[in-house]
Amino acid sequence: MITAALLTGIGLGSMYALLALGFHITYVVSRTVNFAQGSAMMLGAVLGYSFCITWGWPIWLAIPATLTLSAIYGLAVERFLVRPFSSRGSDAWLMATVAAGILVDNLVMFTFGKEPRQFTSSLTESAFSLLGTQVSPLQLMIPLIGAAIALALMLVRRYTRLGKVLEACVQNPRAAMLMGIRVNWVVAIAFAVSAVFAAIAGMLIAPLFNVSAEMGTLFGLKAFAVAILGGIASAGGVFAAGLLFGLVEAIVTIYFGSAFTQIFTFALVILALALRPDGLFGSKTLVKV
Amino acid sequence: MFKALKPFRRLWPQAVAVTTLGLLMSSPALAVEPIKIGLVAALSGQSAKSGEALTRGLTIAIDEINADGGILGRPVELIRRDDESNPAKGMLAARELIQREKVTVLFGGLDTPVSLAIVPLANQMKVPFMGAWAAGTSITQNGASDNYVFRVSAMDEIVDEALVQYGIDEYGMQKPGMLLINNPWGESNEKGFRHALEQREMEWAGIERIEGSDLDVIPQLTRLKNAGADTLLMVGNVGPSAQVVKSLDRMGWDVPVVSHWGPAGGRFSELAGPNADRVHFIQTYVFTENNSAKGDEVLSALKARYPEIQSLADITPAVGIANAYDAMHLSALAIEKAGSTDGTAVRDGFYAIDNYAGLIKDYSTPFTPEQHDALGPQDYVFTHFVDGSIVPVKP
Amino acid sequence: MINKMSLANLLATAALTLGGVALSFTLDSYSLLVFSFFALTVVVGAGLNILIGLSGQISFGHIAFYAIGAYVCALLTMAGCPLGLAMIAAALVSGALGALLAIPALRVEGPYLAMITIAFALVVHHGLVEWRGLTGGANGLMGIPMPQLGDMDPAVLMALLASLLMGGSLLFYQRLRSSGWGTAMRAVKASDIAARSLGFNPVQTKTLAFGLSALLTGLAGSLVAPLMMFINPASFPFSQSILFVLAVIVGGAGSVLGPVLGALLIVLLPEMLSDMAEYRLLMFSGLLLGVLWIAPRGLLGTAARLWMRPQNLQAPAEPDMARIREFIARPANSAALEVNGIGINFGGVQAAANVSLSARPGSITSIIGPNGAGKTTALNMISGFYAPDSGSIRLDGELAGLPAWKVARAGIARTYQTTQLFGELSVLDNVLAGMQRGRLGRILSAASSAERDIAMQLLALVGYQGSVNTAADELPHVDRRLVEIARALASRPAVLLLDEPAAGLSRSDTDQLAALFRQLAGFNIAVMLVEHDMTLVMGVSDQLLVLDAGKPIAWGEPEEVRQLPHVIAAYLGGTEYQAPPRAEPWDGSRDARLFIKDLVLDYGAAPVVDKVNLVVNPGELIAILGANGAGKSSILQCLAGLHPATSGSILLDNESIHHSNAASIAARGLALVPEGRQMFPQLTVRDNLMLGAFARTDKVDVDAEIEAILRRFPRLRDRIDSPTGLLSGGEQQMVAVGRGLMAKPRILLLDEPSLGLSPAMIGELYDALAALRDEGVTLLLVDQMANLALQVADRAYVLETGRIVKSGSAEALRGDRELEAAYLGEGAVA
Repeated sequence: MITAALLTGIGLGSMYALLALGFHITYVVSRTVNFAQGSAMMLGAVLGYSFCITWGWPIWLAIPATLTLSAIYGLAVERFLVRPFSSRGSDAWLMATVAAGILVDNLVMFTFGKEPRQFTSSLTESAFSLLGTQVSPLQLMIPLIGAAIALALMLVRRYTRLGKVLEACVQNPRAAMLMGIRVNWVVAIAFAVSAVFAAIAGMLIAPLFNVSAEMGTLFGLKAFAVAILGGIASAGGVFAAGLLFGLVEAIVTIYFGSAFTQIFTFALVILALALRPDGLFGSKTLVKV
Repeated sequence: MFKALKPFRRLWPQAVAVTTLGLLMSSPALAVEPIKIGLVAALSGQSAKSGEALTRGLTIAIDEINADGGILGRPVELIRRDDESNPAKGMLAARELIQREKVTVLFGGLDTPVSLAIVPLANQMKVPFMGAWAAGTSITQNGASDNYVFRVSAMDEIVDEALVQYGIDEYGMQKPGMLLINNPWGESNEKGFRHALEQREMEWAGIERIEGSDLDVIPQLTRLKNAGADTLLMVGNVGPSAQVVKSLDRMGWDVPVVSHWGPAGGRFSELAGPNADRVHFIQTYVFTENNSAKGDEVLSALKARYPEIQSLADITPAVGIANAYDAMHLSALAIEKAGSTDGTAVRDGFYAIDNYAGLIKDYSTPFTPEQHDALGPQDYVFTHFVDGSIVPVKP
Repeated sequence: MINKMSLANLLATAALTLGGVALSFTLDSYSLLVFSFFALTVVVGAGLNILIGLSGQISFGHIAFYAIGAYVCALLTMAGCPLGLAMIAAALVSGALGALLAIPALRVEGPYLAMITIAFALVVHHGLVEWRGLTGGANGLMGIPMPQLGDMDPAVLMALLASLLMGGSLLFYQRLRSSGWGTAMRAVKASDIAARSLGFNPVQTKTLAFGLSALLTGLAGSLVAPLMMFINPASFPFSQSILFVLAVIVGGAGSVLGPVLGALLIVLLPEMLSDMAEYRLLMFSGLLLGVLWIAPRGLLGTAARLWMRPQNLQAPAEPDMARIREFIARPANSAALEVNGIGINFGGVQAAANVSLSARPGSITSIIGPNGAGKTTALNMISGFYAPDSGSIRLDGELAGLPAWKVARAGIARTYQTTQLFGELSVLDNVLAGMQRGRLGRILSAASSAERDIAMQLLALVGYQGSVNTAADELPHVDRRLVEIARALASRPAVLLLDEPAAGLSRSDTDQLAALFRQLAGFNIAVMLVEHDMTLVMGVSDQLLVLDAGKPIAWGEPEEVRQLPHVIAAYLGGTEYQAPPRAEPWDGSRDARLFIKDLVLDYGAAPVVDKVNLVVNPGELIAILGANGAGKSSILQCLAGLHPATSGSILLDNESIHHSNAASIAARGLALVPEGRQMFPQLTVRDNLMLGAFARTDKVDVDAEIEAILRRFPRLRDRIDSPTGLLSGGEQQMVAVGRGLMAKPRILLLDEPSLGLSPAMIGELYDALAALRDEGVTLLLVDQMANLALQVADRAYVLETGRIVKSGSAEALRGDRELEAAYLGEGAVA
C-alpha cells in the first residue's frame, strides 16, 4: 500500500511540478502568470483525447498537434490576457486569466461534452508487479517524464543559446533589449512553453484519471500552491515543492483518508507562507526605494 | 415618492415585468390555463445527463397525457430549472417554481442534498414534491407531520438492505467492506448499511470514503483488503466508481462489487475499462431487447421524440426515464382524483390512487399516509454493463 | 463641503434603501427572496470593496467568510439565540477570522495573496464538511428558524433587514472611504513607501481592511441562514468567491455604487435568463474580460471619470502666514538631528560608510556628491527604509533601526526623487493624509473644516495653483513636487528630507523652491536636501556634506567646501590621468554617422532634454559633459530606444531611428554600454560577451571575437567562465564594453563608464577607450568626470539642465572655468 501510494504521490507531485514550472517560467521573465494553468492542462487532455480517440489519429501525429495547439493557446493568453494589462503596469492580468480559465472550461463543456471520458492508453492496460503492487508502465513514466522535462529545461537554460537569451531576459530585461533581444517575444514564448508543459501534464494524467472540462481546476490550484511554496522564482525549488506536495498528499491519504488531504495540504500552504513569505525555497528580495 | 423610486426602477426591470405580467394574469383567462409541472434537476455540469433523462421521461408521459385531453381538461406544461447540483440553487429554483410559476407538482432530480433542501419548503408551501431519482432515506421520511413529499424511485435504506441481501445470496458475503462517496448520499447509505448489517449481526471490514478527486483508491482498498473484506459494497457516482474498478485491476484483487446505482449515471463502462462488468448494481428499470408491451411502447415513443436515441446504449440511465414516466402518470392521476390543483387536495389525491399499470410495475395503492415511497425492494433489479449497455444480471 | 459626487452617491444609497423597503412590502414572495439575495450580495460587495478598492488587496476566499457567517448564525439561532444577536456574533467571528487571516496575507502580495485566500476558502469548505459534529457535515444544518416579529411575514421582515443592511453597508463604505481610516488604507494602497514615510503602518491598515471586509461579508452571510432555512457546505461553492470579486471589479473597484451594479449582474441577470442558466459562467467570464479590456476602472468607475469631473477648487492665492506658523512652526530650542557614523553594506558592497552630520532646527543642510556617491542611501537610512549596520541617528531619541513609519512619527518627513504621491487621491486628500501623522483617526467622519483649511494654506504656501480636487496622478511634474512637499509639511515635521526636489524643474521654479526652503527653515524646521542643482544648493545651504563613493569627503559651509580641490576632483575627475593622445588629429568623413536635430525629451513634465543638436562623424570620439541630472544619460537611453523622444529627429547613417524599438536599433548597429554596467549576473563572462553579438546578422566566429576581447582586456581571461556577478566593478565595466564591441557596432555609446571604479581601473579602461578610438571605432561617451573624458575625446558638448551650453574641441574645453561652473554652480566662478 505504501509503495502504491508513494508512487501515486510522486507521480502526482511531478505533474504538479510540471504545471508549476509553467507558472515559474512566465513569472521569471515577466512577473506574470497564467492563473488558469489548470485550464491549459485540461485543454491538453481534451485535445489529446479528441485527436487520438474521437478522430483516431495516430499517436505520433496527435501529440505534436496537441502540443502545437497548446503553444498557440499560450501565445494567445499572453497577447490578449496578459500583455494588454502588464504593459500598462496593471495587475488586472490576474483577473483576466482567471476569467479566461472559466471561459475555456465552459466552452469545452459545451463542445466536448459534460460527461467525463476515458482516455484509454495501451500504457495503462498492461501492468507489472513492483514491490508488492501492480504498476502500469504509465505510472512509472509520469515521474520520469516530469523529471526529464525539468532536467531538459535546466539544460536548455544553462547550455543553449536560446536558454541564455531567456536567462538574459530573466536577469536583466533592460540590458537584454540593448543586446537586440526582443523581450516581448521571449515573454510570449515563455507563455507558450508554460501551456505546453500543462498540456503534457494533462495528457499524462488523463489515462489514469479521466478527461472532463473540470479536471484542471483543482489541479491548477494545487500546482499554483506548489509554485508559491517552492518560491516561484526558483525552478529547483518549484520542482522539489511539487514532489513534496504530492508525497504529503499521499501520506495524508494513507493515514487520514482522502477527505482530509485538502484540509491538510492547504492549511500547510497558509502556514508555510505565514512563516516563509517567499516560499520554502525562495529567497528574500531587497526592495529598492 | 415616485421620483425617489425612479432610479430604482431602472435597476429593477424585472419588478416592472412581474407587475405587468401579474396584471395580465389577473385579467379573465384568455384560454384554458395549463397545469404546470416543475422540474428542478441538474441540467448542467457533471450530472447533466440525469436531468436529460428525467426530462425525457416526463416529456413522453406529458405528451401521452396531453394527447388524451390533459388533466381536468387542461393541458400539462413542463417547466425546468437547473439546480447545478447545488442545494442553494435548487432551493431557489424550487421557490421560483412554486411561488412564481405556481406549479402543481414539483419534481426533484438526482442529487439527494438538493432534494433535502427542497423538502422543508415543499412541506411549508403545501405543494407536492415528487422525488424521481434521489434515494436519500430522509427525503420522504422527513419527520414532518404534514408530509408532501412522495417518491417513485429507490430509497437508500431499502436499497442497502437489498444490496446486503444480494451479497449474501450471490457471493456468500460474510465480512463486507464499504466504499462510500464522501457526501450526504454516502452518509445516508452508511446509516442504511449499518442498519442492515447490524440486523444480521454481521461484522464489517471497514468503511472507507472515496472522493471525486481521488486519482486512485488503492490506499482505501488496501485497508479493506487487509481487514479481510470478502465483498465490497459501493456507493458513488460514475467517476469515483470507475476509479474503484481501475484500482482493483491494478491491485489484482478479484473481489465481488455490489453497488448502488451510481455507475448507471454515465459512461461507466468506458471510464472503468474492460472490467466494468464486475460491478453489479441496482436499478429500478432497464430497457432490454424484449420489454413488456408498455416498455416497447415507451421505447418507440422515445425514439420518435428524440431522434438522437438510436440504440439501447443511448438510454443508459433508464431509471431516470422510467421513474419520471411513472411518477408523472401517478401525479396526473392524483390531480384527477383531487379535482383541483390545490396542494393539499392533490396530496390527498396521491393517497386515493388505486391502480395504475405503469412501466416499472403495476401499482396498486402506491401511496398511503404512512408510505410515501411507491417502489420497494421487490421492484429492484440487479444489472451490470455489457458492451456499453446496462443489462440485467439475470435475464 | 460635500461635493457633487458624494452627494450623488448619498442620494442613490438613500433611494436604494427606500426602494428596498418599498419593494419589501410589494413584491411577491419569490421576488422577495431574490431581492434579499441581491441586497446581501451588495453587502458582500461593499465589504470586498473595502479590501479591493480601498486597500488594494484581493481575496478569492470571501465565500468562506460568507459561509462562516451563515453557520455561526444558524447554530446560534437553532440554539435559541435571537436573530439580531446571532447576526452580530456571526459578523464578529468573521471579522476576527479575517483579521487573523490578514497575518499571513499581509506579508505577501499579488499572486501569493491570492493563493492564501484560495487556500483559506478550501480549508474552510472541507472543514465544514468534515466537522460533522458541529456543522452536520455535507448534509448541513436544517430547520433554521425564521425571525418572528408580530404577525409580519418573515420573508418581508428579512427583505427589510437585507435592505437596511444594504443601505447601511453602502453608507458605511462611503463614510469609511473619506474618513481617516479610509485615507490611511488608500494611502497604503497607492504607495506603500510614501505611506510609511508619513507614519502609516501598513500592517495595521491592511489588517483593518481584511477584518472589516470579512465582518461585512459575515454579516451578509448570517442572514443567508434564515433566508434559506437550510445551509450546507455546497451552498457556498468556491466559484461564488470569484463571482463576488467579479461583481466588485465589473462595477468598479473603489466606486461606492459599483457593487450594486455587480450584484445586479450576478444575482438578477441569471434570474432573468433562467432558461439560459447553463451559460451563466460563460457570460460572466466574457463580460469580465470585456470590462477589463474596455473599461479597466469598472463600468461605474469609468463612467464617473467621464461624466463626473471634480469641482474646481483653488487654494488661496496668498497663504495666511500666521496660521501656517501656528500650525507648523517649532520652538527654536527643539532637538537637532544628529547622525553619527552610519553605514550600510549590500551584499558585500559598502554603499555608505561613516556618514555623520548634524541638522539644527532652522538650518538647511545639503548632501551632495557625484552619481553613485550614496546620497540617497544615506537618506534612506535616516528615514528608516534601510537599517544602518552601524552608527546612530538621534532626534530626541535613537531612531537607527526603527521601521520607516516609526521614524516618520518621530518627526522626520521626506519626499522622493520620483514623486510618490497617492495617485488616486485628490491633491487635498494627499495633504490631509499627511496631516494624520500615521494615525487612523476617526473611522466614519471626514477631515474637519479646520483641517481642510490648513491643508489649503499649506498648498498655497508651496505655491500650488491648480484645483485641489484634481487626482494626484493627473498632475504635471512640477505640481507633483509641490504637493509632495505640502504633504510632508502637513505632518508637522521636525526634519524635512527632500530628495532631489529640483529635478526636472525650470530655473524659475527652482528659484521659487529656494525661497520656500528658506521660509521653512524660518519655521525652525531642519531642512535637508539631496540635490545636484548646484545653484540651488550653493544658494540656500547653511552647511554641506559631500559624499564620494559612499564616504564623506567634506563637511562645512558652501563657500569653503566648493573651493576644496578634492571636492572639485570628485566631480570633475582628477587631472593626474593622461590618456595616450591620438597620433594625429581626427580628419575623417564629415558624412555624419549619428545626426541629432532638435531632440526634446520629457518624462511627462518639463523637458529634461531641450532642443539638443549633436553630430558624431565616423571614427570620432565625442563626449557629452555636464553635471548629474543635466540630461546626458537621457539622451543615450533615447538613442538606444529605451525611452521615446518627444520631438526631434535622430538619424543613424541617414536612416531615421527614433521610432524604432530597442531591439531593432541594436540590430541596426547602435550599441549602448549602459550606466551601472547592467550585467547578466548569473551568466558567465563568456555568455555575456556572446549575447553581445545577438543582434548581428553576419556570420560570427564567436570564439575568435571573444579572443579578441580578451586580448584587449587581459584581466578577463582568468574570469572568462565565472559568473559576472562575482567580478569587481572594473572588470564588469570591461565586460560591458566588450559586450558592446561584440556587436561590431557602427557606433558605440558609453554611459558613465568610470562610475564607481578605482583610479587604477579608470586608467586601464580609458587606455582601452583610447585604443578603440585609434582603431577607428565611432564612440559617443558620457562621463561626468569631465577631465577624464576630455583626455580621450576629439570634441565635446557641454550640457546644462537639458540644453547644450557649449561645444568645441576637447583641447579647448580642458581647464575651461565655465565647465567647472556647469558642475559646481555659478558661485564657483565668482
